[in-house]
Amino acid sequence: MLEVQGLRKVYRSGGRETEALRDLTFKVDSGDLVCLVGPSGCGKTTLLRCLGGLLEPTAGTVRIDGHEVAGPPPGLAMVFQEYGRSLFPWMSVRDNVELPLKQKRLPRARRSTLVASALEAVGLAGTETAYPWQLSGGMQQRVAIARAVAYEPATLLMDEPFAAVDAQTRADLEDLVRSLWQRLRVTVLFVTHDIDEAVYLGQRVVMLSSSPTVVQDELTVDLPAERDQLHTRADSRFTALRTHVYEQIQAAKRGRPTPEGAV
Amino acid sequence: MKRLAYVLGLPALLFAGWFLLSDGSENFYAPPLRQILRAFADTWTVERLRTDVIPSLLRLAAGYTLAAAGGIAAGVAIGLNRRLRAAVEPVLEFFRAIPPPVLVPVIMLFAGIGNGMKIIVIVFGCVWPILLNTVEGVRAVDGIQIDTARAYGIDGPARIRRLILPAASPQIAAGLRQALSIAIILMVISEMFASSNGLGFTIVQFQRSFAIPEMWSGIILLGLLGFALSVLFRLAEGRALRWYDGLRAAQRRS
Repeated sequence: MLEVQGLRKVYRSGGRETEALRDLTFKVDSGDLVCLVGPSGCGKTTLLRCLGGLLEPTAGTVRIDGHEVAGPPPGLAMVFQEYGRSLFPWMSVRDNVELPLKQKRLPRARRSTLVASALEAVGLAGTETAYPWQLSGGMQQRVAIARAVAYEPATLLMDEPFAAVDAQTRADLEDLVRSLWQRLRVTVLFVTHDIDEAVYLGQRVVMLSSSPTVVQDELTVDLPAERDQLHTRADSRFTALRTHVYEQIQAAKRGRPTPEGAV
Repeated sequence: MKRLAYVLGLPALLFAGWFLLSDGSENFYAPPLRQILRAFADTWTVERLRTDVIPSLLRLAAGYTLAAAGGIAAGVAIGLNRRLRAAVEPVLEFFRAIPPPVLVPVIMLFAGIGNGMKIIVIVFGCVWPILLNTVEGVRAVDGIQIDTARAYGIDGPARIRRLILPAASPQIAAGLRQALSIAIILMVISEMFASSNGLGFTIVQFQRSFAIPEMWSGIILLGLLGFALSVLFRLAEGRALRWYDGLRAAQRRS
């Protein structure tokens, strides 16, 4: 379970203060897949860095399974948008996936089982000895996902992971994330600026306002658990939810307070 | 084959030019190349290599290795620590600006005229490019890579070994390459001041005793040594940084 309580982040540089996050409170239940969506520049990355313990919030707390986050918590894996910079180019695909496991001091046999099954799960078996830069963008992001999966996290944070890949690859990767989530029963928090992606992937969608950021609205996605790109996206329920999220984001951009209303 | 012709073409031409133009030379100080080559074969015997060339190379290796180890270690520390960097950077620039040969007499006062002095001179001269390049390389490590390492709990010595050093290695290699040529120069200079063996000592000895063809042959040997060392360095660098060349090629394509 991931609990965010009154989170605030103010950047200070010189005499200037920039309030990135004003007051964020939300919860992600264990085993849930929640998408965070907001207008561009709304501090999504700041939020995720606070959640991952990479950035210290100015006020408020982040708790993962009851433990307050101070520094990167064990059992939490991150996937970054910049896959090309997040993978280490001097290591082969296998070594990239294996490195965090070595740090966890897992025995060799266990490491190679985890690496093999993670690469298998993301459809990259056979690329172990390649360097990341020898692969396409979509495949590199798969390596980053495999690294996260092999780490056996309880919580997985994904920061706009598919913002830099082409549309078709993106659809494949979205389905990959849903199937991994269903198989591994991890808690996933998925940050995106793409409204369709948020509704398609999430069990819940948390909408953020523009900066300084507060929670604009929350929404439960009552679509069936089995989703596919063709039918789910054509479903009238999908379109209704999508419209609601879209309107909230537009309202957030205009800076209006949250209008109450059932979906 | 064609590449080999390109590589060897100019040296062969220069050599032939020197050989032909100097053939009739009556100048005592610029003897014909034919004579220099004969002196080369007579001078650089196995015995000579053992007594003069090997000690020089050993001192070179010792000084270069120490400078590399010290420069990289200090460079990582300075590169990772902003306060330390602010404190030592002006001092480093000052030391770097001193031409190392000037320090030979000073170092002689402290370290005598033995191997120690010569190694210190080499270290002092070639540590700077290694150190400063390492600092720059460490500072330029990608923020996302650092975040990734932190998120996956890679910290402490593992962070330096798995992330900082490999990420900075292209820049460190550039520093090592610069340092190698400086080290060779200082190896010779330190032997010219006060020595009883070594390449620099032998060349000065020949010059003072007017053994001019032998002196020239020593200079040719030095050139060949420097060339061989830089070829070796390039081979090692190419192997160690294969990933970097590949990465850059991939980035150019996209």
